[in-house]
Amino acid sequence: MISLGLVTQALLYLMTVGLVLSLLITGIRGVRGYRRRRRRRLAAPVRGLLLELLCAQDDDQEALIDRIAHTDKKTWAALEPTVAAMLGKVSGRARTALVRLYERHGSLAQAVADLRSRSAPRRGRAAQVLGRLQYRRAAPALCRLLDDRDHEVRMAAARALGRLADPLAVPHLLDSLHGARTVPPTTITAAVASMGREAWSPVAAGLGDPAPLVRAVAIEVLGVTGAIARTPELVHVLRADPDLEVRIRAARALGRLGMPEGLEPLLAAIRPGQPVALRIVAAGALGRLGAVAATRALTELLGDDRPHLAATAARALLRLGPAGETALREAADDRSDGGAAAQARAALAEAAVGGTRYDVLAEVAL
Amino acid sequence: MNAAPVEMWDGLLGTLHGLIAVSDTAIILYFLAINTGYLVLILLALGELVRRVRRAPFAGYEDAATSPFTPPISVIMPAYNEAAGITEAVRAMLLLHYPVLEVIVVDDGSTDGTLEALTDAFGLAEVDHVVTEDVPVRGKVTSLHLPRGGPIPVVVARKANGGKADALNVGINLARYPLVCMVDADSILDSQALLAVAKPFGDDPLRVVATGGVVGIANGCTIEAGRVAEVHVPPDLLGRAQVVEYLRGFFLGRTGWSKIGGLLIIAGAFGLFRRDAVVAVGGMDPDCIGEDAELVVRLHRHLREQGLGHRDYRIVFVTEPISWSEAPSSLRVLGRQRRRWQRGLTEILLKHRRLIGNPRYGRVGLTALPFYVLFELMAPLVELAGLVLVPLGVLLGAVDTDFLLRFLLAAYAYAMVVSLVSVAVEEYAYHRFSRWRDVWGAFVGVVVENLGYRQFTAWWRLRGMWDALRGAPRVWGAMSRSGFGTTRRETEGGGRA
Repeated sequence: MISLGLVTQALLYLMTVGLVLSLLITGIRGVRGYRRRRRRRLAAPVRGLLLELLCAQDDDQEALIDRIAHTDKKTWAALEPTVAAMLGKVSGRARTALVRLYERHGSLAQAVADLRSRSAPRRGRAAQVLGRLQYRRAAPALCRLLDDRDHEVRMAAARALGRLADPLAVPHLLDSLHGARTVPPTTITAAVASMGREAWSPVAAGLGDPAPLVRAVAIEVLGVTGAIARTPELVHVLRADPDLEVRIRAARALGRLGMPEGLEPLLAAIRPGQPVALRIVAAGALGRLGAVAATRALTELLGDDRPHLAATAARALLRLGPAGETALREAADDRSDGGAAAQARAALAEAAVGGTRYDVLAEVAL
Repeated sequence: MNAAPVEMWDGLLGTLHGLIAVSDTAIILYFLAINTGYLVLILLALGELVRRVRRAPFAGYEDAATSPFTPPISVIMPAYNEAAGITEAVRAMLLLHYPVLEVIVVDDGSTDGTLEALTDAFGLAEVDHVVTEDVPVRGKVTSLHLPRGGPIPVVVARKANGGKADALNVGINLARYPLVCMVDADSILDSQALLAVAKPFGDDPLRVVATGGVVGIANGCTIEAGRVAEVHVPPDLLGRAQVVEYLRGFFLGRTGWSKIGGLLIIAGAFGLFRRDAVVAVGGMDPDCIGEDAELVVRLHRHLREQGLGHRDYRIVFVTEPISWSEAPSSLRVLGRQRRRWQRGLTEILLKHRRLIGNPRYGRVGLTALPFYVLFELMAPLVELAGLVLVPLGVLLGAVDTDFLLRFLLAAYAYAMVVSLVSVAVEEYAYHRFSRWRDVWGAFVGVVVENLGYRQFTAWWRLRGMWDALRGAPRVWGAMSRSGFGTTRRETEGGGRA
């Protein structure tokens, strides 16, 4: 049985907790407001100097950098978020000045040191800062961070490595796609793709990786960055890779690259008997390739009993120019095949209003 | 006088006293248990929020906003007689900060000129169409409309009236992107909303099948150009109570459930799903009044039974403040909304009763669903029983009045402490309320929500439960909107938060 004394005590305790919580809420709010005002006050005089620095000629920059870099710790803390935001928005001389400001103040060295911090948020912020500064000497340390125990830190490191654009980091980035501590494929793809053609060679090496995800990302990057010299390798992957998702990526990449060598393997990929998802993507890729030679094969798909495939083929025909349009008009007028005619009419109607929905609907799990 | 009947009467009275005393104790213990449940969820949420807030500076939203690898999204917006606000709603969606998206408006047989409003605003032209039935629909698409000139990614489908779930199914069939976002036409999204809600898909693409976003109350907020510019607590008591309720139950409660893999509800006002997963379970159930939550439970069920390619899966609640809906501002409208929600919950729990307590369904079966049965489904019944039995116990002298009074005070104080913890967590993590008086308003809401508001809603929820049990005809209630651009609007608060 619960005693009256216990209930009374609980009531008093709860009332105290309620009071403490109310004070806590007002306290948090008050402190936050005070800090915000103080940051504004501290940063206000230096912010003007920062703007001057961004517009200054080379001769004047050093003096301004010195003045800003030698502000006290609290002022720098108030100003640093603005400097970090500016880094992502300016280029050329202004950007170089900001990087030198970080160096002169010692924040760059601090960020490098913070990569080994015990605090995950600190490691993540350091990675982000070093990426924005494009500080290539931090690449080895950032590569090590790809195996960090914190998921968000690993992602920040990958993004930073993308900004550094150091091709030596590519194998590390691709390796981080598998294992116990992974980085998501979209992050790796974006990071490696941002390195451009410099990364083609190490990326192409990923085509031979035993992990399908690595091959898929390598193919995606090669397609997006326009690595036309790698077309034969992609053709081989489309024809022979054991993993369907990888073949789908290869089909899409071949469409993006737009090389004639892609035509035959893509035509083979849309034939009956191939997996439907691959046929859909390959049909879309043929449209992107713009090869008139694909007209007949795509026209035959208009009557396919898989509506997504037929719809993709219809939109692909539109991309082939007059030959494709003629084929669509003939199909639209053909009363013997209702499905094909409907698909053709829908595609032509979309084109007539200039609203063709070219995107290919295919669910790719990787 | 015969002594036997008197003794029998005394015996009966004694038994009644005993029963009432036990019931009263059980009710108060239930009250303590329900609040302890919420407190545990809030503490789970707090851990998650601390983690997310500390990592927010390097979460990579800027990169995602410009990356061509960010997965494109089909935003599906069902509309029934939304002529007043549909144009602004679509424009606001198109202006969201996201690399590639399309907006699919499904006009569910509107009679107020919804389609005409869209046609005028976006220069729509009717086109021939073929709509694939990946998920079954009842009301067929009667016409499809695209903007002339092309670059605006808007598709408008007109269909015979079939209800919101059916309209969503049409939208799913029309969607061409791998992620589908279901929004209400009156939802107001923050500009980063899609980036926030899509982030888990990019971070964990192999496992995440659905994400839900926080839905805040737009009443009293300053709305500019289809966005919430300043967040305020509504000036009325009803609004204040709902703000606290949303914070505790919907924001922090769902964050807690998400943390342990037991999230059962993604608000119809704003949820993002893998299209293939939704197609695999057959789309929305047009026969269920709580179709949004039902879809999530069905996804859990399907993925547990079939496995997602033999892989683990996740359904995630995103804590960033992202979507705003108008909450009912009158008791009448609130009553109808809560009756409908409780009816939906009852139908879902009845439909998926096989999952409840079934270890095959993991935490969903063993924790989340039993919690919903005990503390969401049964709560109005117990609450109203308490309102009858506790005074009766005092009247009959079955319980000690002083003891009961203090016990009740302690129980309500506990509930208020739980609500205050919610306000404190919000203030720590997102501190959305811009003025001090909003905080005072939230304090008032804490009191009103526990003393009065809950008891009112208990009655409506009980009626909703009864509606479900007796299979009453489904009534959605007419929406009345005055469109975006105003700071306050009177609505039914149709969608689930």
